[in-house]
Amino acid sequence: MKVQFLLLPAALMLTEPSQAAVYLSVAQAQQVMFPGRTFTQDFRVISDAQAASIERKSGVSVPGRQLKTWRVAGGGWFIADEVTGDHEFIPFALALDEHGAVKSVEILEYREYVGGEVRNPKWLAQFKGKKDGVSLELTKDIQNISGATLSSQHITEGIHRLLASYAVVLAPR
Amino acid sequence: MRSFLRPVERCRPLLGTFVRIRVEGLLPDRANEAIDAAFDAIAVIHRLMSFREAGSDVFRLNHKACREPVTIDAHTQGVLRRAIALSEISDGIFDITVAPELVARRMLPAPEHAPVPDADGSWRDIVFLKDHTIAFQRPLWIDLGGIAKGYAVDCAISALQTFSPARVCVNAGGDLRVAGIGSERIQLVPDDYNEDVAMFAEVENGSIASSCGRMAKRSCGAEEAGAHVDPRGDSGDGIWRFASVVAQDCVDADALTKVVMATGEKSASILAAYGACAQIYDRRFGWNNIGKSS
Repeated sequence: MKVQFLLLPAALMLTEPSQAAVYLSVAQAQQVMFPGRTFTQDFRVISDAQAASIERKSGVSVPGRQLKTWRVAGGGWFIADEVTGDHEFIPFALALDEHGAVKSVEILEYREYVGGEVRNPKWLAQFKGKKDGVSLELTKDIQNISGATLSSQHITEGIHRLLASYAVVLAPR
Repeated sequence: MRSFLRPVERCRPLLGTFVRIRVEGLLPDRANEAIDAAFDAIAVIHRLMSFREAGSDVFRLNHKACREPVTIDAHTQGVLRRAIALSEISDGIFDITVAPELVARRMLPAPEHAPVPDADGSWRDIVFLKDHTIAFQRPLWIDLGGIAKGYAVDCAISALQTFSPARVCVNAGGDLRVAGIGSERIQLVPDDYNEDVAMFAEVENGSIASSCGRMAKRSCGAEEAGAHVDPRGDSGDGIWRFASVVAQDCVDADALTKVVMATGEKSASILAAYGACAQIYDRRFGWNNIGKSS
């Protein structure tokens, strides 16, 4: 194990705004979650009555009326959806088996929120013009943050909502 | 040599947080297979050590171990042994039997139908009868929330290494481990941080874990801010602190954050015993290094 701690001017960190990490496209997620299977798009529109029923069943409000669903050859469903977190918007995919049980969940994109970013223009001004020379090195490869644990509660709620959506909209057919 | 193959990274909601796994130096299909195996390894630990889930080892221990011996998985036994070793060396500053405090603070749900825990119970009441068999000398509620996440990260790394990747990183909501060629730069971000400097750790073949919160009277257990407690009660309520610990294994980094949270600079000798070091931050004194970084 080797470790080195570095204290750097925070202002330099702002020269490259944090970007959403894209883990998987919808097509990639389909192949990861159901390897080798084929998919048939089967989007549904959730009616008012269905939305009310989903909310009753899951205890989670239904933010949109489109259910982006694919039928999986040989059984199973793939649903692409998203949740809104405290600071972010998180697209995710849910794989259900032929009985509607959760097979797996994959986060498609995630932008980690860094609290307390320095927004002091005076301080920033000192570093103007240094961007190309200095900050590229300083900002390289910062893909990880260690701090207070992020809660995935919003995703859990999103999954409950989709399971209720499955029961109300997809299963009855 | 750094691999020319593109890194493959995925993220799943596990352990109550977002777990990101990155693999370098494998073809995409093989990388995805490795990542699947690593997520599966984490899910196993989650199921065994969940405080909430009926049937988990922790759930069965809390419900039955004060009445009869309970057989547990080798993973759970390993984590319990590590937890108790740290309780010993820290003289109870780290103590997995503080779950009743966390339940009282509504950070954990009360385990239904479990015997009411003895107010004087502690880690000393956990007895290893024989391999994989545990009994409690009095009713206890244990919670592995302060150590199991790091252990799950270690298990994920082991699963990944069977695929011989060039480099891997497993990040469970900020508790992370890197293995392979080259270092990983990690930004340490306390809650509501508002300083003109940013702290980074560059870690090679090692782990880092962080905790942030306000100290209170008893010892530690969960990750949420405010879940940290000093069992000696002498640091008083209301001291806010952030701590990051770097250690070889993530299980140690995770557990040691609780000791550093409770004791600050006084944790240096315990960190040294684990070959670990730490950064602490508070709003009065800023950043402070504890222990030797190498």
